[in-house]
Amino acid sequence: MSKQSEKLSDAALVTEIKHGDAEAMEEIVRRFSNKVYNLAFHLTRDASAAEEIMQEVFLTVLSKIHTLTNEAYFATWLYRVTTNASYGFLRKEKKFTEQTLIDDTNSEHSAVYDWSTLPDDVLLSEESSEVLRTAIDTLPDTMRTVVIMKDVEGLKNEDIAQTLGLTVPAVKSRLHRGRLVLREILSDYFRKYSDPSGDNV
Amino acid sequence: MNCKICSKLLQEYLENSISEELISELNTHLKECRRCRIFFRTYSLTVTLSQRIETPCCVSSEKIKELTSLLHERLFPK
Ligand SMILES: [Zn+2]
Repeated sequence: MSKQSEKLSDAALVTEIKHGDAEAMEEIVRRFSNKVYNLAFHLTRDASAAEEIMQEVFLTVLSKIHTLTNEAYFATWLYRVTTNASYGFLRKEKKFTEQTLIDDTNSEHSAVYDWSTLPDDVLLSEESSEVLRTAIDTLPDTMRTVVIMKDVEGLKNEDIAQTLGLTVPAVKSRLHRGRLVLREILSDYFRKYSDPSGDNV
Repeated sequence: MNCKICSKLLQEYLENSISEELISELNTHLKECRRCRIFFRTYSLTVTLSQRIETPCCVSSEKIKELTSLLHERLFPK
């Protein structure tokens, strides 16, 4: 495999694919397949669905590559098709949660229990990780997608905004509200480890 | 700095998008205010725990091969 394509930017690879370069296409698959798979996996929580979605996304996007006028938007286009395909799967499986109203009026400052001082084996336990994953699942769809893209997958606010057709402030506000909900759920869960004698600070 | 402003700045702080001056004001408030301090720590830790969620890695190499040959057929037919 040529070292050439490995050095090219995403946008340059897209241009090469448009010109019929099969190596560039293979490099794009190498570069993005796990990213697309991870995003689909976290959205659907289903490994085999995530593989199918990954395949479908590349087939769709690469067969329509000529319609992409700005090559720099390739990644966010890929992510948008991925989120839509994941929503489609969830809808089919009836796991698509309608936007539920989240009451975050008292979540800003409700708990004063400081669970951040708990030992790592509690904080990083398999159980606490499952609590968090389940909590993420219960968020309304856009909020959940934003939290997964930003905190779980580490994408930039600008790319998330571009992918979801939101403004950056709208992304940030959903992210913040999502984090507040997750923090509340984690606070409730970790409370069982609090010192019954009271002050844990 | 009051508690309301403090909690609003938290997200921006984690994005590294507030000035040194505001950071020092924030730190002063956090030293004095236990509620905000706890809020700050647990909010940050919530983000950290989300960042540590793992994916049961990765796409199988068979799947990649299958995809690549499908793409060759469709995009670059002989
Ligand atoms: Zn305060």
